[in-house]
Amino acid sequence: MIRGLVILLLFQSLGELVSKGLSLPIPGPVAGLVFLLLFILIRKKTDTDLEMVSQGLSQHLGLLFVPAAVGVVIFVPQLADHALAIGLALLVSVAIAIGVTAGVLHWSERSRRD
Amino acid sequence: MTDLQEIWVYLSGSPLFSLVLTLVAYQLGLAAYEKTGKSPLANPVAIAILIVVGTLVAIDLPYEKYFEGAQFIHFLLGTATVSLAIPIAKGLSMLRGRVTALLLALTLGGTVSIVSAIGIGLLLDVPSALLLPMFAKSVTAPIAMGIVDGTGISPTLTAIYAVTTGILGAIMARYVLDGLRVRDWTVRGFAIGVAAHGIGTSRAFSVHPQAGAFSSLGMGIHGILGAVLLPPLLPWLTGWLKALA
Repeated sequence: MIRGLVILLLFQSLGELVSKGLSLPIPGPVAGLVFLLLFILIRKKTDTDLEMVSQGLSQHLGLLFVPAAVGVVIFVPQLADHALAIGLALLVSVAIAIGVTAGVLHWSERSRRD
Repeated sequence: MTDLQEIWVYLSGSPLFSLVLTLVAYQLGLAAYEKTGKSPLANPVAIAILIVVGTLVAIDLPYEKYFEGAQFIHFLLGTATVSLAIPIAKGLSMLRGRVTALLLALTLGGTVSIVSAIGIGLLLDVPSALLLPMFAKSVTAPIAMGIVDGTGISPTLTAIYAVTTGILGAIMARYVLDGLRVRDWTVRGFAIGVAAHGIGTSRAFSVHPQAGAFSSLGMGIHGILGAVLLPPLLPWLTGWLKALA
């Protein structure tokens, strides 16, 4: 587990260094993701320990969002007047996005198969 | 009594309290999710957020104080973003000839998500300061916060919208996809990952491993594309929206 975490943290640091160092508009962790992806693709195999840590993190990704999302408490006064409108915009847009993504994929693969 | 109070002052000032509160709230959320037979309505993240917010309000603990402790959990978002490389690498080998269809679906899905959210917000007179964070809301929260960093758009509000989007997407996905009669787990997973990123992916993993893998893939590629394409467009989009609203 430690081995996997060390690999992730090293690539995260590398990403931050490159992103900040070259003042790229891409966030550090995304740069780190790209470097790790290239590293895995070049090595043509992943590390089982790395895979285990990654799976644990992605299964509980939701937990990691809680601290930032609780920040809603400081925005309550601003949001209160428009909460319904914002909620509706988010609700409808995510439903449309799921439908369009699935629909396009479903339809384009089916039309090619036929 | 004073002893107890002293202990409380000490504890609420240490990261321990925020960490325990967050983890216990999430654990309770997970328990409720399992208990309801993984009902999409009992979303563990939504429950955890409600419990933490309720507790902070009840004991009158300011958010800044809470975040001092909870930032250790928050920090792992960056690490989790890096770890998306693994499902993407695995997903790439499963693609075989699907790349064009997947990219087309992702681009269209990502675009309608932004356009429809902004469009509805404009129609309902949401002020531009509250509307701007919607541009990055459909990419995963850590990437979304990175994208708006230094643009004058609130990163906290961006994260709130991104998380709300994820929760709503995780709740709605089953109904939308069943309605469209999409049964292929890879298609279902990919659509959830693109639209509802991290929280959708958690949900997808809990339903079917293949849906989870494709959801990670959709979220990861959407995140990378968003991080590359959005920053150069944001100043232009911000100006346009401010002129309009």
